[in-house]
Amino acid sequence: MFRETVITGIRRDGILDDASASFMMDEDTFRAFYERTARGLWAYLVRLTGDRQLADDLLQETFYRFLRAAATYDNETHRRNSLYRIATNLARDVRRRMARAASVSTGDIEHVPSGKDAGATERMTDFTRAMSRLKPRERAILWLAYAEGASHREIADVLGLRPASLKPMLFRARRRLAELLGRVPRGGKP
Amino acid sequence: MKPVDCEWESEVLAAVLQNRWPERVEAGLRMHVAVCEICADVVAVAGAVDHAREEMRARAVVPDSGRVWWLAQMRARREATQAAGRPITAAQVLALACAIGLLGACFGATSAWFQSALRWTASSLAAMKFQALLPFAAGFVAEHGALLLGMAAIVLVVPAAVYLTMLRE
Repeated sequence: MFRETVITGIRRDGILDDASASFMMDEDTFRAFYERTARGLWAYLVRLTGDRQLADDLLQETFYRFLRAAATYDNETHRRNSLYRIATNLARDVRRRMARAASVSTGDIEHVPSGKDAGATERMTDFTRAMSRLKPRERAILWLAYAEGASHREIADVLGLRPASLKPMLFRARRRLAELLGRVPRGGKP
Repeated sequence: MKPVDCEWESEVLAAVLQNRWPERVEAGLRMHVAVCEICADVVAVAGAVDHAREEMRARAVVPDSGRVWWLAQMRARREATQAAGRPITAAQVLALACAIGLLGACFGATSAWFQSALRWTASSLAAMKFQALLPFAAGFVAEHGALLLGMAAIVLVVPAAVYLTMLRE
């Protein structure tokens, strides 16, 4: 689950025909939801795209599309799943358009501001390099599972996968990242 | 078939995410992780991802929520205005052309006046000596050339405008 809640489903009624109509969510609710989710979503988008500037743009586009979607949600997790699904689809579309699927630049997200200790900087750089060598879907699965604490079912819902296929995918992605991080050699112990 | 999950996986993950790993977990769990490839991967990967998450969230600079809301409102209004200001759709053009054609056909088929006028026009054209009209036409063009040019421009511009509208649709 996304840190603390459980997924069920989202009832979608399509996109609002009249854009001048007010959004389904009022301003106060939106702002509170934004404060809770924007930073985590931005980090997810940076990991997916490998580009901070692009992540900035996609963040705003994601929230706009989220507001325009005439959907009703049973709870916070539904909202959050919908938000991440929009972000995932946007990042996927951009990646296809830019034909950048082969590799993601790491230069833009490796930078850690001065003041951090050298060990932390090195760990972050290693991690970013290792992540950049994974497939975009593997990055998304690992980030949702371990950074967002999403359940298998939620991850499958966000990424448009069958829940049954997620377990082996997560296993393979995790194995690959562990090997790339150099902490667990293939077939070895930590 | 090689297993892809472990019954202790969730416990190990919880320990990592709650910063209890490795000091504040039972010795049994540590021993299990030492021999379980899956749980060892979970420790390595979940710890690294969680650390990266904390780093990134700490330095994330996202726009103010009020600004995002305001920009979304502005954009929604702009899109609504654009949608309302769109002149005609391709379907509307087609429907109008069909309606005019149908009305003309009905009128032509049912009106005795129209049919007699059509016959008179045809017989008049057949009897007309076009060469005799040439001096008259030349004089008309010389006198009303600008008007004719304007009409010709309208005849060209209107279909072009309809075409461009359909293209945009």
